[in-house]
Amino acid sequence: MKKTVAIMAALAAVTLVVSGCAAAEEDTTSTETAATETATMETASSVLDSVKEAGVVKCGTRDALPGFAVLQEDGTHVGFDSDFCRAIAAAVLGDADAVEMVDLETADRFTALQSGAVDVLVRNTTWTASRDGGEAATFLHPNFYDGQGMMVSSDSGYANVSDMNGAVVCVAKGTTTEGNAALESSRLGLDWEVRSFDETDLILEAFLAGQCDGWSSDVSQLTGLRSAYPSGADALLILPEVFSKEPLAPAVLDGDTQWAQIVNWTILATIQAEEFGITSANVDTFASSEDVSIQRFLGLEIASDEGSAVLDPGLGLPADFAYQVVKQVGNYGEIFAAHLTPLGLERGVNSLWTDGGLMYAPPYR
Amino acid sequence: MSSLPSAPPKPPLWRDTRVLRWAFQILVLAIVAGVIYWLYSNYQTNIAKSSIPTDLRFLDNPTSFTIPGNDLNQSQPVRDAFVQGFYNTLRVAIVGILLTTILGTLVGIARLSKNFMVRLVATSYVELIRNIPLLLLLTFMNLAVVLQTFPRIEDAWLPLDLFVVSNRGIAIPWFEGSGAILLAILATALVVTWLVVKIRGRVSDSTGKPARSLVWGGPTFIVLMIGGWVLLGYDWVLPFVDDRATSGGLRLDPSFFALLVTLVVYTSAHVAEIVRGSIQAVAKGQGEAADAIALSGGQKMRLVILPQAFRIAMPALGNQYLNLIKNSSLGATISYFELTQIAQITVGNGSPAVPAFTLTLLVYLMISLVTSVIVNIANRRLALVER
Repeated sequence: MKKTVAIMAALAAVTLVVSGCAAAEEDTTSTETAATETATMETASSVLDSVKEAGVVKCGTRDALPGFAVLQEDGTHVGFDSDFCRAIAAAVLGDADAVEMVDLETADRFTALQSGAVDVLVRNTTWTASRDGGEAATFLHPNFYDGQGMMVSSDSGYANVSDMNGAVVCVAKGTTTEGNAALESSRLGLDWEVRSFDETDLILEAFLAGQCDGWSSDVSQLTGLRSAYPSGADALLILPEVFSKEPLAPAVLDGDTQWAQIVNWTILATIQAEEFGITSANVDTFASSEDVSIQRFLGLEIASDEGSAVLDPGLGLPADFAYQVVKQVGNYGEIFAAHLTPLGLERGVNSLWTDGGLMYAPPYR
Repeated sequence: MSSLPSAPPKPPLWRDTRVLRWAFQILVLAIVAGVIYWLYSNYQTNIAKSSIPTDLRFLDNPTSFTIPGNDLNQSQPVRDAFVQGFYNTLRVAIVGILLTTILGTLVGIARLSKNFMVRLVATSYVELIRNIPLLLLLTFMNLAVVLQTFPRIEDAWLPLDLFVVSNRGIAIPWFEGSGAILLAILATALVVTWLVVKIRGRVSDSTGKPARSLVWGGPTFIVLMIGGWVLLGYDWVLPFVDDRATSGGLRLDPSFFALLVTLVVYTSAHVAEIVRGSIQAVAKGQGEAADAIALSGGQKMRLVILPQAFRIAMPALGNQYLNLIKNSSLGATISYFELTQIAQITVGNGSPAVPAFTLTLLVYLMISLVTSVIVNIANRRLALVER
């Protein structure tokens, strides 16, 4: 008996010593490994290769956010974010259905990205500095510019956020909403109690039971949740104030520039297509377009007296990727209209720059 | 001894069981250490590749969230949030362990009652609770009891006008003034009471008269507490409903309440079985001897059976206490801001996951080890001294 104890103690001691030593050496080793890593990284294969090999894009998404990504009974995902997942598959593999949707909890999403469980995260994730720096995520062009708002029950008597003194505000755990709510509360001197829950279902239960006065989240999410509220959308009211910037952007793992560019240009292609007026319905009619910009964009042969050429900007994408994206999924406006307009969301800041919005694609040439 | 004829020849090293035993143990140790080192260096390599911080510097970043019932603000570092989480874990663990011991002992005794109804109720309780998963019980307690049974704040129950019960928490009357001084009064009262009981014991030993420690000690304690309270001008503050919240008094968070009740109900079912088994393990003759000197039923239990039963129960009880502490991490699912919840939130708000969770893990380990040490000391004090 005594011996076993002694052995266990010795084991524990060794474990501690080993981890302790390793921790002490951490600083030196991490710089060393970083140096060797940069050397190996150049030869390391891009996610692009593994995606091509697997023939499928693993896209981190969610299963129950109306408008953005909802898991259907037949196992498919439908929504705004899901369509961008499909757009990436269409761009890289030429087949919008070659995508595997991986449903992630909010708190697990970055770990899933870091561990390679997903190739890309399109899961209404707000682009912030800490996430850029601390989560090893590279954020790309936002596909939706959002802001945090507050939803209350219609008979609560609240008309503005500033009415909600001493209120209990419920939010989803592990998101930027906790911090924004706390910040807004101290800014307005409102003394909110912010409770954070794992899942939307639990917030809904607490909200229905009257434990929460307000439900705070991105306005787009609130709009979706409101449309699916058990006792009808009219029972809820989204207050007019928006108190944060939430650029929702796809993210890939740091250190793979090629893959990052591919995802980035897929998003930009949907925006560019809308600017050109190219939709999934009329994209084939542009095959005979004389406009060089459109010929470049769709990967068409640009004929001239000296012969013909197809633009390959060196992104690692097929020349016709934009054609595939628009043909199989649609342009930005189409995706928005299909999933978000029915919820009652306006284009607003998500309009094209030509309409005074923020959606602006760099030139494709 | 030295005069023994020809000692048997020593076996060669590779057949010497003592050497083999050591060699085998060192080998196992080396393998374990090797595997751990391999995993750790893999982690280091992968983490360095994606430039995720592996140190604890995130503890100095400002928190970006608030904790209900706490004035932690955004200018404070993440470290302070962890400390609050640690306190909240301790709070539910300590109160939970006390209540569990009391309830568990009562149910354990009831399991052996001669009264059929009492026995039936106790048995049903133990069998029902022990066979339900804890997380399910907690979810049920939160959704069905706290959220649905407790009223909304608008129609809060006000029993005796002393309490405010709603699904936003239970507010109880609380004192006003310095908690530290009150603790000092409590400590003084406890020490004096302990002395009185000690003296009574000595008197009883020398005169043979009953000690009656409770009759002497109880009033001493109460008089000292009330005396200190009045002398230092403490006052009660009653809670009341103030718009959408409660003011005054001490507010128990609804999730604290749900978690505490769940842990107590769940763990005491297990404790009850331990207590029952330990009572049955006390030699039958002890009870018969108590009967023979005409002790009443209560005296028999209190003076003869239970002290010996707890001696047997102590190690097993210690395990249940550890379970309770570790199970308190489930509070994270119902928005109780204990350690795990804090870890999850800071990770969600930009702290690196692996260091944050490693820290949390080590804190739980520390709490558990300290509890083990306390239980072991108690066990050594209680254990039968064999000479």
